[in-house]
Amino acid sequence: MDENVKTAEREVTLERLREIDDDLRLPAVPEQVSYPIETLIPEARTQTPAVGQRASRPDGRLHGLGQTKYIDDLSFPGMIHAKIKRAGISKARVKNIDVSEAEKMPGVMATLVGSEIPVNSFGPSYQDQPVMVNGTVFHAGDPVAAVAATTEQLALDALDKIKIDYEPLEAVYDPIEAMKDNAPQVHEGESNIYSSKVIQKGDVEQGFEASHRIYENTFSTQMVEHVPMEPHASIADWDGNGRVTLHSSLGRITLGRADIARTLNMPINRIRVIATVVGGNFGGKNEITTEPILALLSKKTGRPVKGVYTREDEFMSSTTRHPFIMDYKTGMSKDGKILARKVRLVCDGGAYCSWSETTLGKACILSAGPYNIENLYVEAYAVYTNKTMTGAMRGFGAPQVCFAYESQMDDMAHDLGIDPLDIRRMNAFHEGSASPTGQVLESVVVRDSLEMAAERFGWQDWNK
Amino acid sequence: MDVKLTINGEEKSASVPPETTLLRLLREEFNLTGAKIGCDVGDCGACTVIVDGIATNSCLMLAGQVQGRSIETIEGLANMDDYHPLQKNFEDLGSLQCGFCGPGIILSAKQLLDDNPDPNKEEIQDALAGNLCRCTGYTKIVEAVADAAREMRGNREAA
Amino acid sequence: MKQKGKGIGCMWYPIGFTVAANPSAATVKVNEDGTATLLTGTVETGQGSLTVLGQIAAEELGISTDDVHVVSADTDTTPMDTGAIASRTTYVTGNAIKLAAEKAKEILFEVAAPMLNVKPSQLEAVDRKVQVKGFPQRNLPISEVALQAQFVQGRPPIGSASFNPPTVDMDPETGQGKPFSTYVYATQIAEVEVDDETGQVDVLYMSAAHDCGTAINPMLVEGQIQGGISMGVGFALQEEMLFDEKGVQINPNLTNYIMPTSLDMPEIDVDIVENFDPTGPFGAKGVGEPTAVPTAAAICNAIFDAVGVRVTSLPATAEKVLKLIKEKRANENKQLAPAE
Repeated sequence: MDENVKTAEREVTLERLREIDDDLRLPAVPEQVSYPIETLIPEARTQTPAVGQRASRPDGRLHGLGQTKYIDDLSFPGMIHAKIKRAGISKARVKNIDVSEAEKMPGVMATLVGSEIPVNSFGPSYQDQPVMVNGTVFHAGDPVAAVAATTEQLALDALDKIKIDYEPLEAVYDPIEAMKDNAPQVHEGESNIYSSKVIQKGDVEQGFEASHRIYENTFSTQMVEHVPMEPHASIADWDGNGRVTLHSSLGRITLGRADIARTLNMPINRIRVIATVVGGNFGGKNEITTEPILALLSKKTGRPVKGVYTREDEFMSSTTRHPFIMDYKTGMSKDGKILARKVRLVCDGGAYCSWSETTLGKACILSAGPYNIENLYVEAYAVYTNKTMTGAMRGFGAPQVCFAYESQMDDMAHDLGIDPLDIRRMNAFHEGSASPTGQVLESVVVRDSLEMAAERFGWQDWNK
Repeated sequence: MDVKLTINGEEKSASVPPETTLLRLLREEFNLTGAKIGCDVGDCGACTVIVDGIATNSCLMLAGQVQGRSIETIEGLANMDDYHPLQKNFEDLGSLQCGFCGPGIILSAKQLLDDNPDPNKEEIQDALAGNLCRCTGYTKIVEAVADAAREMRGNREAA
Repeated sequence: MKQKGKGIGCMWYPIGFTVAANPSAATVKVNEDGTATLLTGTVETGQGSLTVLGQIAAEELGISTDDVHVVSADTDTTPMDTGAIASRTTYVTGNAIKLAAEKAKEILFEVAAPMLNVKPSQLEAVDRKVQVKGFPQRNLPISEVALQAQFVQGRPPIGSASFNPPTVDMDPETGQGKPFSTYVYATQIAEVEVDDETGQVDVLYMSAAHDCGTAINPMLVEGQIQGGISMGVGFALQEEMLFDEKGVQINPNLTNYIMPTSLDMPEIDVDIVENFDPTGPFGAKGVGEPTAVPTAAAICNAIFDAVGVRVTSLPATAEKVLKLIKEKRANENKQLAPAE
């Protein structure tokens, strides 16, 4: 264990152990929960053919009865609770962590710090994210220490007793600033730009030359949280065979298990991940979070350990939607055809890569919009900053670029005196269109969707 | 401290620390886990239960404040013979997705229908404004509440 | 005064990972009474994917949704799956399940063929029966075939299969390649009302026409679209994580981080664009993520139509919209002022 980490000399008397056990309340006698004895099966569920039926969900009934068991609704005999201490400072070197006072508190059964994690890094593209801070803090929501105690409240109280000495380091929060040569480096390295992509098709300069008018705009979007109604939650149970079972709110268990195996340095077959119904994901529960921490606390204490994020943890420490800065330059013919488009995307990746690689790639490809553009150039950069990490979120960069290309589309339509519906009809992909990456597109229904939405809306006859 | 209260029509008692909220009392002492912890500070409504006829965020009420009062939770809504029309219509329309907000929303809707058997769409939206849902856009939830209200009015007329 | 406006958001979106392998595997077991159990490693995260996946297995076996029980999300018991990400479940996991069910069905057909005096290739599974193509009166209940298979011939009808969407690497310099197997398309049109004295934007109505290939379960598709729009409304008008000058979030709670409530939702009409993708299970593609993509664009274009100001940074809060309206008025007044 790290020399900088002080732990208490453990003097646990038999009396203390009894007190601790008294605090561990086993579940009371279950309530009588009633529901109809006869099971109604809605007709759509019994029909053939099955495809196309408005079949209701079997889990939907359990949701309504209050019978769905999310992670926080589960408990196991002897289970204890873990809470995480967050840095609260966005860039710093940890000089010293003192968990001794926390460990002396009644009901506290174990603590954990980053140096105790066998392989303290993970991530889907680059393994640049520590499970818990190990020397350096990269953003304010970074976990620095964990406490397991007999109740959630005791664990929370114990967090306040953990003393951490920080040496603040220079940080950078704005992605454009972070791209500059003399910017403070978020991670050790030569540049904060950790991923870049290019798409090139046709000759964009020639396209601009041939254009009737050229439009240049810059758009930007904000950082957004997934806000699943169920905060991240897991329960770890390390058994006598050295096998760990994790009940987790993870949305992708197979790859989550691989990450857990890596961080715990264990064979994959000694890890079991069970996900119950997840209370909302939207991309935010695609990463492991506290699973390795809980597993190690369970190993230390010999008890099942539950860890549930507070809403604040959820905001400060889970992934979020990437803020984008998007420069669009588009050349148009007089009658409204897009002749050339040049796009530059800068995506604020926050402190760790997470799913930024994928987000950047998708945003690049989609940034032209569902339109035929012969001459296209897209360049895109993902940049580290000392903020909460950004990751997978419903749309992977698509809502950001759609906001940009569709806003500019209406500006151009307005300027050229063309109806916004017509300008889209005119440029939309059709069956067999070549995508920005040269892929021949099939089952393309952009125009059908435009016509259908416009007809339902009453676009032509609509009056202010 | 000792608390005596009525939950879903049955008298109950428990001995808990004074800082215990009604939400924790229900979940931890009585294993009624239908009320959920979404934020624990009264923002999200996932912990909604009905206290003496009023839909309430149970995370904002202390156990001591419910002494002698009557609580309805989602677990008490159905009986051995039938589902509550709200539960049935929520299921039929696929109103809930992840379902975490569901028990709270159904109880807020129940209070609305107890007080106003024929609410219009705005009144339904209003009654559910304290219950956050991230999955559904509330659309099918509002529809199911309207359908349940219609069904309950029909049942009353038939009776 | 309140001003109304209309605006379009149109989009395309891919299914599955960008080039990278993202396989799913599945196992389908037909029980001896003709019901079935499906094993999948994906996780139900609220979309209703387990219901849709059950419907896909049921369709292939010619049985009903209720005849299939879905077991999911346990790394000890369920097969490998890349998980609930990238709008891939219906398409990728669905394809794996269809292939697995096909294999189980092959066993049923091999068992039924001699019972019906035909070749296995002449059989089809429809309405809980195994029947001869073109001669539906020559049939056996699937329960009878399954019982025969398991306990007489000793061949339990089980099938396992996997699927990975076919892609072609992208050129690192030009990005040319085939990063995805397929894409979906959609249009949303918003009607908004902007109060030009406060900048407050209300979304009144949204017409949404989405392509998802075949809608395996239209009710669940509608739910995805309505939910996506609510997330889009938050992205467009309300939500923003704010940081202090030291990089610490100042609104890490739902009191100060504002997300849509039931009162913020517009009236929504959903249309599912008829389409069939031959590479998807029964023509299906996906719908999860795309629903949240065009909403903000449609709303901001409707704001432009209503009050003539272009929001270039999200969210379009009342303060921001009011500032833009005031700037526009100041510019107009400048233009109207007589030349000196």
